[in-house]
Amino acid sequence: MKRVFCLLFAILSISVNAKEQAGQIFEQLAPSLYQIKIIELVSGEKATIGSAFQITKGGLIATNYHVVSGYARHPEKYKMEYLDNDGNKGELSLESVDIINDLALVKKLDDEVSQNPIFEISQQAPLKGEELFSLGNPHDLGMIVVPGTYNGLLPDSFTDKIHFTGSINSGMSGGPVVNGDLKVVGINVATSGNSIGFLIPHDKLQALYNEYLVEPPTDITGQIAQQLKAHQAKLIEEVLVSNWLQKPLGKGSIPTIDAPFIRCWGDSNADKESALLLSAVASCSLEDNTYIENNFFTGHLVMEYRYLSAKDISDTKFYHLYNQKILSARAYNKVQKDDVTEFSCQHDIISPENQTMTQKAVFCARAYKDFPELYDVIYLSASVDKNQQALISNFTLSGVKQESAFAFMEKFIEAVAWQ
Amino acid sequence: MAVIVVEQINRGKKLICRDRFESDSVEIGRSYQNDIIIDDPHICPEHLNIQFDGEHWVVHDQDSLNGSFLDESKQNADKHILHSGDIISIGKSQLRIVFPDHPVSATVKFSPFESLIERTRKPVSLVFSLAIFTLMSGYLLYLGKQTEVTFTQVFVPAIGMTLGFSLWPAIISLISHLTKNDARYWSQIGISFLIFNFFWFSDIIEYVLHFNLSSAWPVSWITSLLPITLAFCLFWLNCYIGFHMSGKKRVIISASLCLLIFGGTYLVSLSNKPDFRDRPTYDATIMTPNFLIAPSTPANEFIENAKQVFEKAEKKKDED
Repeated sequence: MKRVFCLLFAILSISVNAKEQAGQIFEQLAPSLYQIKIIELVSGEKATIGSAFQITKGGLIATNYHVVSGYARHPEKYKMEYLDNDGNKGELSLESVDIINDLALVKKLDDEVSQNPIFEISQQAPLKGEELFSLGNPHDLGMIVVPGTYNGLLPDSFTDKIHFTGSINSGMSGGPVVNGDLKVVGINVATSGNSIGFLIPHDKLQALYNEYLVEPPTDITGQIAQQLKAHQAKLIEEVLVSNWLQKPLGKGSIPTIDAPFIRCWGDSNADKESALLLSAVASCSLEDNTYIENNFFTGHLVMEYRYLSAKDISDTKFYHLYNQKILSARAYNKVQKDDVTEFSCQHDIISPENQTMTQKAVFCARAYKDFPELYDVIYLSASVDKNQQALISNFTLSGVKQESAFAFMEKFIEAVAWQ
Repeated sequence: MAVIVVEQINRGKKLICRDRFESDSVEIGRSYQNDIIIDDPHICPEHLNIQFDGEHWVVHDQDSLNGSFLDESKQNADKHILHSGDIISIGKSQLRIVFPDHPVSATVKFSPFESLIERTRKPVSLVFSLAIFTLMSGYLLYLGKQTEVTFTQVFVPAIGMTLGFSLWPAIISLISHLTKNDARYWSQIGISFLIFNFFWFSDIIEYVLHFNLSSAWPVSWITSLLPITLAFCLFWLNCYIGFHMSGKKRVIISASLCLLIFGGTYLVSLSNKPDFRDRPTYDATIMTPNFLIAPSTPANEFIENAKQVFEKAEKKKDED
């Protein structure tokens, strides 16, 4: 009984300590903490809110790209405002963005040199289990401090993200996460509920700031285009040098990519007695994607396979049903009319160099309107050389250059075969 | 005794009935003593007569209530000296007077279609056409079903479809009948179903072309021309069987029907076109391997050709 009491006391005292620490942290740093509002010019009302923190005396403020994306994409439609802890308001200018890591730098237009302590970016990553404090303004309810723990980087994300155990809520996006020494170790970016939060590591912010010091970007859209291009090149290169494992799917052999950031799933209708076709599906996709603006995403990579086999039906009936399964290929990224063109397509009967499978292949591409040389592509192929079996292979890439699409397609076509 | 022919015609100048008289006088009116009795309330019991004076036929209006008029000039027909082919309006009816020496048009030779039409309306070929049509629609229904189906599940709708399609020749026959033409229902059925069956055939050709040819070929032009041609033939033959009309008129009517149907569907598809399609539209027609005639393209050539897809996408970007 005594032991239990002690333990309880210990827990209580830790949490009291944490609370005290949180209070101190808030008091010290509150003057450099801001709420950012993106105001729609015609209605005069806010369209987006988020949190932000000052990192230089000169008024440079860091936040998430997704908080300011409306303004970044349509500066003629919105203006950006900050609201500090004392209720002061002012306008902001957009200085630089990192669309891949979801970061943005904005600057106060009033050019006042701040007397308040500012947030300093940490020089090193926290240790696993270290207690961190997330700051932000959830749901426009006022600035708060949320304690939580550092749980390392997400193992299967292509872009680095910190797994933070602590409840981050919407509106806290762009707020800083500090360690016990009040140094910024991460930036709030997303949550998947139940105290699972995601942070952008501090080094991404440091890199963006360093780049900004060397040469501030002149055109944000151009900067985004450059970042998207560099990112897709890196992604496709990494995918192509990864180990492509051949896996059986029915009587077919399909490639999967042995990389932590690509996950595969599968299913079949083997339990359905009444089905006329045996159908087995496998799909592999990239875990994360890139947000450009509301309803415009990119950076997807999806590979899907379907093996079909006839059960007591004629070849003609089999092909008739099979044909229906290949009519609805699509890209997986959300887009709007203003973002991309409609798809252009080509089709042909092809066979890869190894001659193992004759197939009907379809290739479609659409161009990004604001980002030159970037496309969404879809490739779909359906085997047409076996009377009672079929293999459908399909991939879609979003936001890639022509060379990347071709390199991927070449490797993909060669890797799909009969066993 | 002079000989004269009096034709009752409708407003479309179509013949209703024709009488030939060997007499010097013809009485026309509503009462039963007349030579020509016309049941038209606007005509007087003794409306008019035409008399031969030894040299000419002359119209005499019997002081009728509504008068008698010449068709072309609208002038009073009383005391008019008749010429062969003159049309007289009395009440709401029309009469055409023709002399025995009135010229007739040249004899029309039986066209080769006549024997085709005769052949299709024979019971054996009728049953054959209808059976092929029903079997094909049943088979296609069966092919499209995702689950196992029974015979009745397929053939009841197939027979329904056949009945539905036989409405078309029925409507044409009805129109011919109403316009005082020969209905010729079985000929219409025979010809219509012959061509409906050709449509299945054209579908198969269409599929084979779409399956084998790459997107570099303008297949959709060929494949949309085929059904339009067939539809034109159908309408042309329907008109040929059902109505007496000049060849030119037949072509115009058939072409207009084609334009109405295909142009209409095209316009509807245009109006249904969404503002922006985020899904691709592509041709992924596949058939069983025995329909594969075309040689396959090496994969690297396909990738090389894909450059054009990117060019097209760029062009769309410039257009927007």
